[in-house]
Parts: sequence; structure tokens; C-alpha cells
Amino acid sequence: MSPEIYSEVGSLLKWLLTAAWLLPLLGFLVEIFGGYWADRKSKVPAYLAVGCIATGFLLSLIALGTWVDAADMNLWAFESAGHSAEHGEGAEHGDDHEHATVAEHDHADAHDEEHHEHASADEHHGNDPLKTAFSGTFYRLGKFGRLDVTLDWYIDGLTVAMFAMVTLIASCIHIFAIGYMSDELTEHYEDHFVHLPGGRHFHRPGRFYRFFAYLSLFCFSMLGLVLAGNIFQVFIFWELVGVCSYLLIGFYVERHSASTAANKAFIMNRVGDFGFLIGLMVIWTWFGVFQFANTDPAHADQAGLFQMVRTHDGTLVTEGEGMEKTVSLQHIEGEARPSSIPYWLLTVAGLGIFAGCIGKSAQFPLQTWLPDAMEGPTPVSALVHSATMVAAGVYLAARFYPMFTPEVLLVIAYVGCITLFIGATIALVVTDIKRVLAYSTISQLGYMMLALGVGGWIAGLFHLITHAFFKSLMFLCSGSVIHGCHHEQEMTKMGGLYKKMPITCWTMFVGVVAICGLAIPFVTLPAIGAVAFSGFHSKDAIIASALTFSSLNPVHSLLFYVPLITAGITAFYMFRMWFMTFFGKPKDHHVYDHAHESPTVMTAPLLILSFFAIFVAVGGEAGPLVTLYGAAEPAHVAMGATDAGNIGLNLPSHEQIHNFHAQAGMAALLVAFAGTLLAYLFYASGAVDPGTVKRQFESVHEFLVDKWRFDVLYDWMWQRPVHVVASWCTAFDKYVLDGLIHGSASSVVKIAQWDRKFDEAVVDRSVNVLGEVTMSVANWFRGLQTGQLRQYVMLIAVSVVSLFVLVFIFFPGQ
Amino acid sequence: MNAYLAVAAVLFVCGVMCMATKRNGIGVLMGVELVLNGANINFVAFSKYGLLGLDGQIFSLFVIVLAAAEAAVALAIALNFYNNHLTIDVDQASELKN
Amino acid sequence: MSVNEIIEHALKGEILPRSVQIFGPEIALCLTILALLFVRMFEIHRRLPTNLVALLGALIAFLGVFSQFMYVKGGSEIPAMMALFQAWGLTPEGVGEVGPYFTGLLVHDQFSVFFRLGLCLFLVLMIALTVLSGIPDSEDGQDFYTLLIGSSVGMMLACGANHLLTLFLAVEMMSVPSYAMVAFQKGRRQASEAALKYVIYGAGAAGVMLYGLSLVAGVLGTASMPELAAQVSTAFAGGSFVLTNPVAVTLALGILMVLAGLAFKLSLVPFHFWCPDAFEGAAAEVGGFLSVASKAGAFALLVRFCIALTGNPDPSLAGLNLSLGIGLGVAAAVTATFGNLAAYSQKNMKRLLAYSTIAHAGYMLMAVSALVIIRGANPSGVPGLTSAGLDAEARRCLEALLYYLAVYLFMNLGAFAIVALIRNQIFSEEIEDYRGLAGEAPVLCVCMLICLFSLVGLPPLGGFWAKLEIFASLFQAGRVHWFMWVVLGIAAVNTVFSLFYYMRVLKSMFLTERPVGARSALVPFRSAPGLYVVMVSVPVLLLGVLAGPLSQTANNVARILLR
Repeated sequence: MSPEIYSEVGSLLKWLLTAAWLLPLLGFLVEIFGGYWADRKSKVPAYLAVGCIATGFLLSLIALGTWVDAADMNLWAFESAGHSAEHGEGAEHGDDHEHATVAEHDHADAHDEEHHEHASADEHHGNDPLKTAFSGTFYRLGKFGRLDVTLDWYIDGLTVAMFAMVTLIASCIHIFAIGYMSDELTEHYEDHFVHLPGGRHFHRPGRFYRFFAYLSLFCFSMLGLVLAGNIFQVFIFWELVGVCSYLLIGFYVERHSASTAANKAFIMNRVGDFGFLIGLMVIWTWFGVFQFANTDPAHADQAGLFQMVRTHDGTLVTEGEGMEKTVSLQHIEGEARPSSIPYWLLTVAGLGIFAGCIGKSAQFPLQTWLPDAMEGPTPVSALVHSATMVAAGVYLAARFYPMFTPEVLLVIAYVGCITLFIGATIALVVTDIKRVLAYSTISQLGYMMLALGVGGWIAGLFHLITHAFFKSLMFLCSGSVIHGCHHEQEMTKMGGLYKKMPITCWTMFVGVVAICGLAIPFVTLPAIGAVAFSGFHSKDAIIASALTFSSLNPVHSLLFYVPLITAGITAFYMFRMWFMTFFGKPKDHHVYDHAHESPTVMTAPLLILSFFAIFVAVGGEAGPLVTLYGAAEPAHVAMGATDAGNIGLNLPSHEQIHNFHAQAGMAALLVAFAGTLLAYLFYASGAVDPGTVKRQFESVHEFLVDKWRFDVLYDWMWQRPVHVVASWCTAFDKYVLDGLIHGSASSVVKIAQWDRKFDEAVVDRSVNVLGEVTMSVANWFRGLQTGQLRQYVMLIAVSVVSLFVLVFIFFPGQ
Repeated sequence: MNAYLAVAAVLFVCGVMCMATKRNGIGVLMGVELVLNGANINFVAFSKYGLLGLDGQIFSLFVIVLAAAEAAVALAIALNFYNNHLTIDVDQASELKN
Repeated sequence: MSVNEIIEHALKGEILPRSVQIFGPEIALCLTILALLFVRMFEIHRRLPTNLVALLGALIAFLGVFSQFMYVKGGSEIPAMMALFQAWGLTPEGVGEVGPYFTGLLVHDQFSVFFRLGLCLFLVLMIALTVLSGIPDSEDGQDFYTLLIGSSVGMMLACGANHLLTLFLAVEMMSVPSYAMVAFQKGRRQASEAALKYVIYGAGAAGVMLYGLSLVAGVLGTASMPELAAQVSTAFAGGSFVLTNPVAVTLALGILMVLAGLAFKLSLVPFHFWCPDAFEGAAAEVGGFLSVASKAGAFALLVRFCIALTGNPDPSLAGLNLSLGIGLGVAAAVTATFGNLAAYSQKNMKRLLAYSTIAHAGYMLMAVSALVIIRGANPSGVPGLTSAGLDAEARRCLEALLYYLAVYLFMNLGAFAIVALIRNQIFSEEIEDYRGLAGEAPVLCVCMLICLFSLVGLPPLGGFWAKLEIFASLFQAGRVHWFMWVVLGIAAVNTVFSLFYYMRVLKSMFLTERPVGARSALVPFRSAPGLYVVMVSVPVLLLGVLAGPLSQTANNVARILLR
């Protein structure tokens, strides 16, 4: 690409996405300040928010088209290449496929692309992602020494794909929320969950405008995170989305559970951010830049992080062995910087950044905040805590992939593996409909992390995007159910709702099938491949990567079996939820009689999202979606690696994954069907009584209901010790110093007094000696309670003397 | 010179002990004076027998003046304390703690 | 130069001698004190409020230092500033020339001008705050302002101390008026008790410090700070600085005692006992003054003293530098941890802020310890760093300290000011009574949020950069000696601890309901107190967004000082 075209396209993309990014901020400002004076019954804030984010979506689409055009990419190559793919031949692709593409991508571009003769196969295997990326600087915040802290933008296939995904889902959810939050449109909102003394409920003015203002602020922060061009800027927006999440979880602040959950989420995230800060610190001191990569040909001399760590073809140049091993840095001629970084330090930086991802994506061991975060309104759970913010951790891990050493990848894989199992097993026993989805989210995020860890970069992000659609769909469905049942969330009180709310029921079915990864076996269509919803393709890709990885590294074969079994568990608990909610006999007639289908403003987003949940992954790994963001795949991933890092890890190449694909797909499909069948037997047909099974495994059930006892564990490990240490410290002044210092001071007094008493006793020959001594001891004890000032002063002298003794002991001798 | 320094050290230690053990606020302030005068003797001794020169003498002059000022403020505060608490026992000053 | 001669000069309109030029702002403050006393003496304070006189004097002094600052920074050719320069009679031979003045008792350089500028700014803000909160009434206003300004003059002296005598004088000048200020609410039992504790503790610490000074000056045979380092080298030439040498022991004891005196001013553990009691007993405004201004002055002294001691390259004295640096590092780590943990269960807002002050002194001391460690390092002993690189890192440490102090000025003043203003409304300083205030006084609470978040060190506020810079300098110092990495780790853990107790305040302000029957606190945005807290909080935000200029200036200041 010539520099002129680069700068032209780059600035066009920049303006489009910047506008899409800043519009929600504008919306937020208008809503929060305007809403202050406006009528609380007005829906204008909602329309404003929807307008902003929908415009953002349109702009993102235009940007997507522009980028595809500039990158000279054929998204529809799989139609021609489909015949050679593993899926054989079959019937033609229908109209709906064409329809899907038009809805998803810019119309004109889609047709232009049809005429391209460019074969994309080569391009997406082992291409240089930096060639199709655009980057630049908005504004310089400050310069500290050699470190330039700037606001940058970095746009590649992943950025535009994320932008389109986030804005689309956010638009749907905004629209849904107009209906869901409509009971806030009042001057006197009665909160049934806050019980005041006397059996009354809490009354307050409605907060409709505030909800939409927070949502807009969140959209701004999330888009900023995706657009950010350097790791420091990511950190800023990382904290901003954290704050928005805090505000939204605590939306019903008067409910004690909500404000506690908000605090918990914020503090747990801070624990992860501590690691993030360590990573930043290492990067600051050793690299001196924060930018991801600098792809502007006009400033080719300023290398970004990715360009420093890896060469053009993505290899990590290392020297030495063991702890002495160093990584040589590229592109730093003529600058006063270290020319290499110790290998272990790079690993530490990677682990630090990943620690941030653990917090944000609710991975083990920081997963406990996400279920509690369900205290927020349901649209928030759909947007923030399933589709976007929690996926930001996965996004960052993928974005920062070139900086990760094989050791870090292995940690990521195991963390993901543990998380997905824990999440899925707890979801088996939860009865709150939103919490089932929350644990499912944790589990699915674990899948994504696992995929990234085992070298399936494409698979992980594939699942991120498909999951965003079907999980936000399911959350909105659950929102619709909750709304329809007047804020009843317990599944044990539902049942038989499919007659009352058919649209919700069947859109939920789409989501459930998608997340379970069900497909019609042995039927494949030419060009679009297996007949299945989006989740099948992405989960298939993850299982294939895991299988390949474990066959290359037999030691880590657990990384294949656990996700495989969990796929079955997933199918079980998802169908369990669906059956329990919509089928069977109504369990609570009060709830059943009052249930009703939601208004159109809520069901329309469900239909839109279910459409995408079905078709977004059309074509599987050769489809347009993967082609689009696959262009951003780091250069070294496609070839795989053998004997990499200090631990000799083998990472699979695209070729190898491809070979295992069919095998993995069959296995995954099999367990998914098994799980579905089991759920049917348990909860729909009534062939097996769940209660009997529960009694059979009482202790396991208890353990799962207690969420693996993580909260108890953390309480013992952290909260109590901190409380104890803190109380020690405050008591330090009071007891230890009192006793020690004042004791020594007043002992002089005591001895004097005792002496005098003794004399008197001897002279008087009194039998009261004992009483006097007792008295003086009592004085001494009373002396302990009073007079702190003298003890303070005494302490000056004691401190100086003891410090001097310390100096004597520790002074470095000759 | 060592004799002077020894006297100064003894004064210093006496002063500190006086501050730490006296319950009467005025007595504590007298301890402060002892400490300051210990330092003064040091300065003068170093000035006369050491290398410090006139600096030491000037130092001690300043300190004498400062000690007077400090004592004035401290006595005023002690008086104020007496007005509020009707005692000058520093052990009674124990309401603010922890 | 006698007073007669100076008056002669001034009357004849001639160019003033250099020392007087530099000392102009301080003289202005002294004249303000005189004016305040006269106002009272001639009973004109009913027509001319004393707080106006004080504010005017402080503003004049601020302008004086500001013009010096611009002069030193940009030279005599700044068109917009010409009038000011002329008004203060600044000349290239006078203020333009960096170096000692008043026969070497004081020194004039960017460092001292920077600190004096900050102190004068703080004085102005402080007087404005007392006008708003009305803590001294019109009857005894002049006493309060006399003490306040007198203490400020002491702190300004501390910034330029170049001689052990000025060091001691400055410590006393800033302490003695503040004892009286703590006792200012004469009728309150708590105030009188706090003042008694403060004065006796302070007098004891001053005595210890003076004794230490006498030992240092006596052993080294000089009291001039620039000569200390050279004297240490000659006295212990050839590596005889070991603790079997009685002279070395005496010197070490002396240094320790001087540091103990400074540690009292900085409220470092274990010399912090006065701090919570004095803060709780005193008015919040006085607490703010003690926690910001006197800390700044004491840090200026500490930096000058440490630089004077460690300024020699003699490798045989590396042990002195290293143990000084590590000792400060340990004190800093212990102080920060103690302050943060002890603040955990406080119920009184002023007491909480007192412990927070202790913790922050710990953070800032970390920068000083990093500075000492890096300056004492042998360039050949550190892999990957040249001698020039070490100098650059030393500058960064000092830059970090200066930046921290500048941000700290605004954020801590903001916090104390808000406590004072809320006290005027609800007559309480207990955190309990802050419940649900956000609904009634949103401006105060939002500004409190900004200040407290900045104290925690959350981006994008000024406190974040300040902490980041300190951590970065600790990291670099860790390359010289691993122990600094331990300190860094402790500091990082501390930032997490500190989050909890600040959040507790905010939680009670924002997330709980105002109890029925509680005294209401209505402070609208468009009122003088509202505008004041916004004015103090905005720089905290600004320093977070525009960190560049200040850090650049601080770096320049550090470069000149360490040259």
C-alpha cells in the first residue's frame, strides 16, 4: 500500500470510528445533564441513546466496508473455495444466506467483493497483520523521559469486526431496555426488593434517564477500549468500563445486595488490575513505548511493541538458556534503550497483563464477582456482563498475543480450562434463571481463553463474537421472561410458559441450540458447510484446536478432555433451563396466571439477535466473519511452533488443526446430543426424577450450590486476615506501646512508691504490707491506663536508641 | 573537650528522662530546656576546642532565644490546658487516643 | 549589610542588593504580619477586616515568588511579565543569579523557588479557605493570620536552607506557630489537649534534633551544608568509616538524631504519635495546613540534608549512602503500611485523614530513598546503566517527589477543605454523619470523590501519575539494590489497602440514604464554598490529563539541584 493511500484510508477510518466512539459520550453528557431537569416520564433520553448507538452502528458498517475495500480482501471466497473444503457438496445456499450478508455488511461493498478474483486462501494463512492495519495518534497526554504517553488508534480487521458487533448488540439492547425499564418512568418508583421497617417498600423517583446515560457512557468506554492504540490507553478505558459496570450493577443502590455486588465487582477487578499495572511497569521500563504497532509508512522508524518483540515473520529471537535467556528487540537502532529483555521478564509482563484479563473476564480464581453482578438490570447483564465488557479480557489477550511467550499461553490455557469446568458444573444446580446464564458466561469465556492458550487464536475470537450474539439473545430472553413474570427469577416457580410467551420461547430455543453447538449430523451443504447455528462452528473450532494441541503435547491432554466433557454439560444445563422455564406443568399458579408476552419493543430485538445467532458464523472457518478478523491474526500463529519456550511446548499450525477438524467435530456433536438427551429425560419427559438424583449425590450437590465454596475460601484467605491485621495495627498504639513503654516508665515510679511503702511498713511494723503492695500494683495497673503523652515522649528516646542499635547491627562492615 | 561533651550528654539524658517521667506539664518543659542546654554546651565546646569556630557560639545564641520563644508558647498552651481541664497533669491529656 | 543601608537603598530608589531582592516575598510577608498587628492596635479592624489584609499580603508575596519563578525559568525577557519584574526590582545579577545568599545561610535556586511558589500558593488558598469557613472570628483573626503567615515564612526559609543553623531555625519557625494554631479554639478541651501533646512532642523532637546537629557540626567541623560531604570524605579518607571508629559512631548517631527530628515533622513511624491526636483536636483547616505545607517544608529540608550528605563520589563511603537509603526505604515502607492499616477502622474523618497523611508521607519518602540509593550507586556496579543514566534516574526520583507534592497540595487541601465546609453545615466530622450527603451537597461530594480517588491513585487523576512516577523510580533504584524492589512491592500492596478506607467514606456519602432528622447540608454549586472546592479539585483533574508541563518543570528543577 502506498503512503498516500494509507494516509487517505487511515484518516477516513479514523474519523468514522472516532465518530462512532464519541457519539455515545455526547449522548451521555446530554442525558446526564439534561435529564437532571427534564421530566422523569419522558422517553427522550432513551431515543437519544438509541440514536447515538445506532448511528454508531451505521458508521461502523461503513468503516468495515472501507477497510475491506482497502485491505483488498474477498470475504466471499468460501463460496468458490467451498467445494474443496472438507464439507463435500450438497444443496445450494439459500436466499437467507444472501440476506444475512447484506444485513451484516455494507451492501455495495458486498457486491463489489463478488467481482474480485483475488484468492484469499494465501492471504489468510501466514499473512502479515500489520499490512492491513492502520494506526496513528490522536493526542499526546504528556512525555515522561523517553516515554510518550499518547492517545492512539489502531484499526485492523479485529477492530472493525468488534466495532460492528458491539454497536449492533448495543443497539438491540438499548431498544429492548426501553421496554424493560419502562416501569422507571414515574415519579414514585416502588422498589419491592427493599424492605423498610414496618413492612413498607422503598419509594424513590424513577431513574429512566440515568440508566440510559450510564449505558451510553459504557458504550463510549467499550468502543474506546477497542479503538485504543496502546496498552496504556487500553488500561484507561479498562478502568472506565469497570466504573460503568460498577454504576450499572449498583443501579438499584438501595438494595443491599446490589451495592455489595457492585463493590465486589470493582474490588475483584482491582485485584486483577494490580497485575496489569505490573505488566505496564515492565513494559514502561524495558520498551519505553506503549503503542501496539506503528504501521504508518510515514513514521516507519518508530516501532511499536509488537514490532519490537517479533520480527516480520513473527519469530521471537532469543539468546542464551534458562534464566539467562534474553529476547532481542527489533527496530531500535540508534536509541538509548536496552537492546534485549530477559525472557522471564517478558513472561512476567505477559502474566501481568493476563492477570488483568482474569479479573475482567471473570476467570479462575477471580470468577466469583460475575454471578453477583446479576443484581443489575437484565439489559445490563446482557450488554456488559455477557457480550462486551467481560469479553474485553479475551479481546485484550488476543490483541496482546504477540507479546505472550509459550509459558504464558500454557497458563492461559489452564486457567481457561479450570474456569470452564467450574462454571459449567455450578450452572448445573443453580435455579435462578439469570445466574444460570451468568455461570454459562463464565464457562464460555473459559472456552475462549482455552482456545487462545492452545494456539487457536482464530477459534477463540470466533467464539467471542458468536457467543456475544447468542448469549445477549438469551439474556434478553430471560429479561423478557422476568418482565413477563413480574420480576420472578426463580426457575422453580416457572414452567409451561411457552403458551404464554411463544416468541420468547422460540428465540430462546435458538440461543440454546446455538450455545450447545447442535447440528444436523452428516448433512453438509456446499459453500456454507454444516447445517448448524453459529455456536456449532465456533465451538467446533475450539475443540479442534484443543484436540490438536493435546495430540502434539500428550502431557497436557487434559486440555482436550475437560472441554469436551464440558460441552456435554453445557448442553445439559442449557436445555434444563429451557425445559424448566417453558415446559412442564406450571409450578406457581400466581406467576403463571399473570405471565404475558412482552411488547413488540422487546421482542423485536430478540428476533434480530436470533437471526444473527443463527447466521453470523455462516461458512464456518472459511466464512466471511473469520476472513474478516482473521486478517489480524499475528503472523506467527499460522505456522504453529515446535519445542517453543523454556518448557518445550508444541503449538499447532492451521494445517494440523485442519486435519483434526472432522474428528473433533464428531466428538463434540456426540457429547452435545448426549447432554441434550439427558436433559430431556430429566426435565421434560419425566423419565428420571431429578430429586432422586439430587439425593443420591447430596454432598456433590451441596458443594456445587455453594459455588465450590470460593466465597468462603476468599473470606478465610483474605478478608479475615486483613481485618485482623488492621485491628492489630490500630491496637498497636493502644496496647503494645502502652504496656511496653509506659510500663517501663511507670515501673520507676512504682519502685519508688514501693520503696517508700516498704520503709513505712518496716517502721510501723504494720501488717498492712500486703495490702500496700496490692495497692501499688493496682496503681501500676491504673498507670497503664492513663497518660499517653509521657509515653510518647519516652518513645522518642527509645526509638532513637533502638534505631541506633539497628544501625549498629546492620551497618555494612568493611 | 571530652569533659564538656560528657556533661552535655548527661544533661541531655537527664532532660529526656525528665520529659518522660514528670507528670507535671511545667516539669516536662523544664526537661526540654535541659535537652536544649545540653546541645548548647556541645556547640560551645566544639566551638572552643574543635574546628567549628564562631559558628558554634552563634548557634547557641540562637538556640537560647528560640528556647525562650518556644517556652513562651508552650507555657501559654499549658495555661490553656489548665483552663480547660483544671489540672496540669499531662496524664490527664488522654482523651484523644487510638 | 545593616538595616540602615537597606533602607537607604530603598528610599533612594536604587537597585536593591541581591539578598534583599531574593528575600523580597518573605519581607513582604513579615510586613503583612506587622500590618496585622497594627490593624489591631489602632482598632481599625472593624473597617478593614483582618482577613483581607492577610489575603492581600499573601497575594503580594505570591506574585513576588511567581515573578522570581518566571525570571529564573524564562529569563528577563518575558514581555507579559516585565511590569512585575520591575515592580519587584529583579535584576540579572540579583535574582537571575543562582547561588547562596545572606552570607551562605540560604541558597537561591530553582528548587527553592519551586517550593516557595507552592507554599505561597497554598498560603493564599488557605487564607481564602479560612475566610469561607470562618474559623477565626473577626476578634482574634489577626492572631491566627499572624501565626499562619509566620509559620509559612519558616517553611519558605526551610526551602532555601543552606546551613545547619537555618535548618534548625526553619524547623522551629514552622513548628512553634503551628503549636499555637492547633490550640486556637481556646475553649475546646480537645484542642487544648491536642496542642499540649503536640508542643511537648515537638519540643522533645526538636531537642533531640538539636543535639544531633551539634554532634554532626562538631564532628565535621562545619555547619555549612555544601561542605558536609567534603568534610565527610576528608574525615574518613581511606575507608575508615566503620563503626569501630568512635568518631564515625558519633557522626552516625548525630545523623540519626537529625533524621529523627525531621521524621517528627514528616510524621514517619515511629515518630508519628502526635499526628492523629493533633489532627483530631485541631480544626480541619489547621489540619490541612499541617498535612500539606509543613510536610512540603520538611521534605525540602530532608532532600537538602540528604543531598548534602551523599554528594561525594568516594567509594569507601558507599556504605553510608547505602545504609541511609535503605534505612529511609524501610521507614517509608513501614510508615505507608502503618498509616494505611491504622486508617482502616477510624470513625473520625480528621483522624482518618491524619493516618492517610502518614501513609502519603511514606510514599513520598520512598522517592527520597530511591534518590539516595541511586546517587550513592557506583556506575560500574549496575548493569545496563551508565553514569549519565544514573544521573537521569536520580533526576526522575526528585521529579517524582516534586510532582507528588504538587498534586498532594491540591488533593489533600481539597479533602480537608471539604471536611471543614461540611463541618460548618452539620457540625460533625464523623464518617457516620456523612451518610447520604451526596444528595444534599453534590458539589462537595463529587469533589471529595475526585480528591479521594486521586489520593488512592486512580487514573486519570493527578495522584495516579504521581504514584506511577514514584513507583518507576523505585523500580530503577531496585536495579541498584534489590531491596528497593521489596519496597516497591509493599508500596503496590499499600495502594490496594488504601482503596478500602477511602471507599468507605465515599460509600457512606453516595450509597446510603440520609437518615431522617439529620442536619441538612445544602451547599449549592453557585456559592463561594462550592466554587472554592471546585477550584481546588480542578487542578487534580488537570494534572492527571496534562501531566507534561509540570513534570517537565520538575525535571528541570531537579537537574539544576543535582548538578
